[in-house]
Amino acid sequence: MITVEGTIQRSGMGMGTWALVTSEGQTYEIHQGAPKDLLQPELRVCVKGEIRNDVMTIAMIGPVLEVKSFELLKP
Amino acid sequence: MRRLLLIGLFCLGLAWAVLGYPGFANRGSYDSIVLDFREDLSPSQIDQQLQTLSQQYGVTAHLNSAFSQADHLYVLNGDSRLLQALRRSDLRKSVEAIDPNYTYQALEVPNDPDYSKQWNLRSINIETAWDETKGKDVTVAVIDTGITKVPDLANTKFVRGYDFVNDREDASDDNGHGTHVAGTIAQSTNNDYGVAGIAYEAQLMPLKVLSSFGGGTVADIAEAIRFAADQGATVINMSLGGFGDTHVLKEAIDYAHQKGVVVVAAAGNSNTNSAAFPARYANVISVSALDSTGAKAPYSNFGAGVDISAPGGAIVDENPLGGILQETIDPETGKPQMVPLQGTSMAAPHVAGVAALIQSVGMKEPDKVAFVLQQSAQVVKDDALNHFGAGRLDATAAVKLAQRENLDVKDFFRWLRDNGYFNLRFWIDGGVTALLPKLGMVLGSYLLAWFLRNYLPMGSFALASGLVTGSAGLFFLRGFYIFDLPQAPFRILGSSIPELGGAIQGSPLLNPFFASVLIPFCLIALLLGHSWWKWFAVGSTLGVAACLIGSAAIDPAVLWLGEGWLARGFLLLNAGLCFGLGSLAAKAASSGGHTA
Repeated sequence: MITVEGTIQRSGMGMGTWALVTSEGQTYEIHQGAPKDLLQPELRVCVKGEIRNDVMTIAMIGPVLEVKSFELLKP
Repeated sequence: MRRLLLIGLFCLGLAWAVLGYPGFANRGSYDSIVLDFREDLSPSQIDQQLQTLSQQYGVTAHLNSAFSQADHLYVLNGDSRLLQALRRSDLRKSVEAIDPNYTYQALEVPNDPDYSKQWNLRSINIETAWDETKGKDVTVAVIDTGITKVPDLANTKFVRGYDFVNDREDASDDNGHGTHVAGTIAQSTNNDYGVAGIAYEAQLMPLKVLSSFGGGTVADIAEAIRFAADQGATVINMSLGGFGDTHVLKEAIDYAHQKGVVVVAAAGNSNTNSAAFPARYANVISVSALDSTGAKAPYSNFGAGVDISAPGGAIVDENPLGGILQETIDPETGKPQMVPLQGTSMAAPHVAGVAALIQSVGMKEPDKVAFVLQQSAQVVKDDALNHFGAGRLDATAAVKLAQRENLDVKDFFRWLRDNGYFNLRFWIDGGVTALLPKLGMVLGSYLLAWFLRNYLPMGSFALASGLVTGSAGLFFLRGFYIFDLPQAPFRILGSSIPELGGAIQGSPLLNPFFASVLIPFCLIALLLGHSWWKWFAVGSTLGVAACLIGSAAIDPAVLWLGEGWLARGFLLLNAGLCFGLGSLAAKAASSGGHTA
């Protein structure tokens, strides 16, 4: 389980996907099935989740992060 | 003697540059010659000339067409030897021109109405490749989100596939990605509808391993690879990737490779210095993406593991057609739509399509197909960060090379060796440094040292390290990559002192502060008092002199000074200063005694 802080962004790779970008510039691809409330552009969040090394995707923008829980951060 | 050496090196460089100039390449083929007689000649004078021609050379010239009489335009059969003879004969006084009658070929331009928007197909030189083959009898497996038979795949042949996500035979697409990728490979072409595909007579095998969200597990992907290899596919395209190294996937790829399947995969879209998995594996051709100008697309991975580059497009607000246009489905409604997409996902199927063309002209074996793809790619000069791998994909050059009956076996084995993957910890880019100029610069530095042999301890390790550091650096390290780590440390170790200025950002240009007498001067000033390091300082000063002479002769590209005579003059002047400084320092150091 890892904890990542960052901003939610929409990525134009593949048919489009959701990304979590940290302040250091690391991009995670948010795994399918994440809560709808999380998936809003420019949302600042702290996400707890797992890196899914057994998953491959068409977007290929970064490690795949399966969200277990998240908190909103003040913008 | 020194001047002689300088002149010799300079001439060598000049000859090198001139002989490599592409303008000297062959400009076309012809088997007849055009004669354009002067306008003021009367018909009887022309008849007389034609008779002489027939008597002297045994050839008959005739009017080119019914409309040629007014222009006095005649053609006759002949080759380059006859052309030269005619140009030297008396005939030239009676004509305006004697020219080769070059053959122009009509290109195979498809009638698909949106073909004009497919900059990507023209940029890989597809039209002349279609003259030779369209990929007939080759089966390409598309391991992706499935394929839906949209109208522009109506004439495309399919073989049985499988849906590993839902475990069923019907492998339709519910995302849109797989259908788009399949379109690049084999969109129905010359059907008066939509757009074109690369190997449009090849057969597609749809294998669905990714869900409607565009993700899937390595277990399903590995099974799909084995299915493709067992069911007769000879090319596999995987426009997918991840960050985990798994045994199951690597085994499946090795199995397919050993069964004769060419495996192509996308390098990944995180703009980082390493291909993603599975592109990174040794038996996979890893493809980075180009935009419509032929530059690296901003998102594309690069560096370690990238084998070749192909159009992946880059969509920006002002130019949506900067993407790759194919027909696919709208995932919301399931209805067909023409959309531009971007990604290394779009680049990989270009290479898979050309691999199918190569196989359809008879070259089947995966290592040979990879060799042909890379050997025929348009080389990108000064690709220090390995954005392009072997270069930009070229369909025509690839098909032509594959058609040559015997590939040069020596070239092939050298390529296999140069592309040696050792394991997944590190990777070597064999093409990154031109060996000969580097060796020349090291030898040159020894030659300069030899002129000063009376003052130098020739066998000293300090001197030798200095000569190598100044002239070439540990240049073999330049193409050395450790996966997922920055490559800059190896570029720095692999650079000579004059190249250090560009090494960090990977620029091929020499920085005038580094490519000058400045650093040697500082080294000598600081180290001349030290018994061991003084010889290193002298050696590196002579090494820099050799490197600057070599650069002036071969590739005088200096930041702010251009690549012309200004840059060349700057480099040669500094080389002279370095040699002068080196000889003064050598004399001073030797009077202090040989202590090295």
